[in-house]
Amino acid sequence: MFSFPRRARKLPLNLCLANFPFPARWPAFPFRHKGLYDESHALAIAILKKEVRIPDGDNTRPDPDTLLAVLRRDELPSHARSQVFSGMGPGVAKTYTMLRVVSPIHEFFLAGVSIALVTGASWLLAPFTGYQAIALLYLLLVVAVGLKLSRGPVLTVAASSAILWNFLFVPPRFTFYIHNFHDAVMFVTFFVVAIAMGHLTSRLRLSEVAERRRERRTAALYELAHQAAFATDLDTGLRAAVSLITSIFGAQAALLLRQKDHTLSNVTHPASSLTLSEKEKSVAAWAFGRRMPAGKFTDTLPDSEALHLPLQARITVMGVLAIRPSAGKSFDLTERELLEAFAVLIGLILEKEHIIEAFKHAEILEASERLHRALFDSVSHELKTPLSAVQTGLDALARQVGGEEKKRVTLREIQSAVLRLRRVIDNLLNMTRIETGVVEPKLDWCDVGELIRAAIELAGDALHEHHIIIEGDEALPMVKLDQPLLEQCLSNLLINAANWSNPETKITVRADVDGNELLLTVLDEGKGLNESDLAHIFEKFYRASDARPGGTGLGLSIVEGFVRAHGGFVHAANRKTGGAEFALTIPVETIRAETMEGLS
Amino acid sequence: MSEKPTSLVIDDEIQIRRLLRIVLEEEGYRVLESETGRQGLSDVALRRPDVVLLDLGLPDMDGLVVLQRLREWSHVPVLILSVRDGPEDKVTALDAGADDYVTKPFDSTELLARLRAIQRRVPFGTEDPYFQAGHLAIDFNTRTVTVDGCEVKLTATEYALLKALAQHAGKVVTHKQLLREVWGPNAENQSQYLRVYVTHLRKKIEIPSAPEKLLKTESGIGYRLILPAQK
Repeated sequence: MFSFPRRARKLPLNLCLANFPFPARWPAFPFRHKGLYDESHALAIAILKKEVRIPDGDNTRPDPDTLLAVLRRDELPSHARSQVFSGMGPGVAKTYTMLRVVSPIHEFFLAGVSIALVTGASWLLAPFTGYQAIALLYLLLVVAVGLKLSRGPVLTVAASSAILWNFLFVPPRFTFYIHNFHDAVMFVTFFVVAIAMGHLTSRLRLSEVAERRRERRTAALYELAHQAAFATDLDTGLRAAVSLITSIFGAQAALLLRQKDHTLSNVTHPASSLTLSEKEKSVAAWAFGRRMPAGKFTDTLPDSEALHLPLQARITVMGVLAIRPSAGKSFDLTERELLEAFAVLIGLILEKEHIIEAFKHAEILEASERLHRALFDSVSHELKTPLSAVQTGLDALARQVGGEEKKRVTLREIQSAVLRLRRVIDNLLNMTRIETGVVEPKLDWCDVGELIRAAIELAGDALHEHHIIIEGDEALPMVKLDQPLLEQCLSNLLINAANWSNPETKITVRADVDGNELLLTVLDEGKGLNESDLAHIFEKFYRASDARPGGTGLGLSIVEGFVRAHGGFVHAANRKTGGAEFALTIPVETIRAETMEGLS
Repeated sequence: MSEKPTSLVIDDEIQIRRLLRIVLEEEGYRVLESETGRQGLSDVALRRPDVVLLDLGLPDMDGLVVLQRLREWSHVPVLILSVRDGPEDKVTALDAGADDYVTKPFDSTELLARLRAIQRRVPFGTEDPYFQAGHLAIDFNTRTVTVDGCEVKLTATEYALLKALAQHAGKVVTHKQLLREVWGPNAENQSQYLRVYVTHLRKKIEIPSAPEKLLKTESGIGYRLILPAQK
């Protein structure tokens, strides 16, 4: 149940009327209405003869649902027709919630007729029963009217009964003068009783109506929950929801769902019983984007054929429900509420489905990652263990051999072969990691100079015959990246450069930070790349036409894979001055040491 | 130490154990072997080795678990010897109490150097107030640092960082350990400070022309202050 804190603010009605921001399209209002306007909430409510209490100290903008709940609590007359419309004020998004109360003219008419009938009958009966019994007849009328009509007409009937009884029946007749004290008491009592009864019966009726309305709402929601939420699959559930809307509201409905990329689908869900034109779809897109109702009966694009309600779930909007009422029909307060409740429920059902699916997907992914990890671990164990036995054995042998030149040469050959095998295995394992998509960069702050030096160290003996020059690393900010990963990339590029250029030439590593991008370029003075190779050199196992024997064709593809996993890209080109250049562009966060707090 | 130091190799591969025995015995160690984690744990308890070489991929239990159990009651230096070469694996093992980490296949000379480094068990400052590594000398009493005999001015933080590295000289010290020791337990994620100070420190204590850098970056793991004997 909706409950309020005791302290609530009631705005004076005249002030409200004065402040009421009339929307551009004001519905045809045949009657005087009083309004409530809460400026801080930029939200307005206009209802007839009702004040709305907005909780004090609540500075968030209440949503239309909350306001409707407030209004419901205030027990609106059952014939109140609601028109809730959301719209845009000049420049500012505003939601106006307005309730239009339809004239009870026909009720007053009915009241008049019934009074006339009872008065006529009393006129005939009075000579036989005496004037006092007539009062009871009138009371009966008040009760009867109270059970049927709303409060205004009932109170009118009560008051006019008292007056008519006095004027027409109480002696002296045809005057308002009451001769005897006994009759005067009776008249006052009658008046009070009639008013009280009228009031009580109309209240009784109202609560009964409210009860029935609640029941209808509960039943409909239960039906939807039962049919849709517990359906074996989503499509059946949505079909049930649409057919329920059709049967309850006599309206056609269409569903546009959110797609995987979090945009609204352009194709209606197959469960829909309504086809949407492009124009309607754009209204739906608006409702989806703004998370507000749009289209017919709202202030946004009211010319549309259908009412578009966003399917608001707990976190996101899961789609849009478009409802086209049959011609000439509009939705009353209850129906509108119910439709919105439907939209929420459908949204929740979709969200539930979405979460289940995401969960399943994550489980599968986790299982495959675990499997991959186990496989990868065991393969690398099986490859590396014998290799490390060979390596250790060689080391031991090298010590035992001592100065025997021939044996030492042989050992050195074996050692370099082992080293090569080690590189191949490392490359293959790295390639496997890239291919299976398990490379996840772990970002941490890093000094670019340190990164470059570590990469050079990693490349080790392969660079000993070249002069390595580092440029531009001095004044750079710190960058956030996965250092081991990029070290490996840079080191591969350096080894590649060394392999393709003559000893004693220069290899330059140039670093630069441009905005949020780190640029690392490796330049060599070799013979450069063949044009025909340029397009393929990052492909796995691709070997340039004039490659030296011994490579695996994996070094550059690993660079490409690691850099891509890091969100960057690598580019190869020939230098104008001869030689090749490889440039890594990596998106990074940067921070300057001098802007860091707590540095002394 | 006149007596031979004892080493315990915990590895399930018999070939590796045999070869390690050759390398270690040649270096003057007494070598004990355990095939499983469980046996390794009981061997550490009963035979009190001076240093442990632990493989992570053991048949009965993960090497990390062995390390954790071991660290509940023993401070014996532990060198991890594993095929797992990811930085995360190394950091996990080091933060769990391993003294250093060598990946297979390994270079025997490097392995021996690391073994020597992790056995320098004497807590610094209590025993020897002087520290020397190549051209770098530190006097912990007077808090003076000299490079090639010339005194170098360090800020308080730079000195604290250098001291932390020198106390673990020859061993890798993880980012987390350094941040905790120099900046306190709340700074474990403030790696940017560490990077800045290491860069500053490098400029002050390293000689650009020297062939060997004093402060080695262990990428994704931490830093290592190289002792001259170490390669």
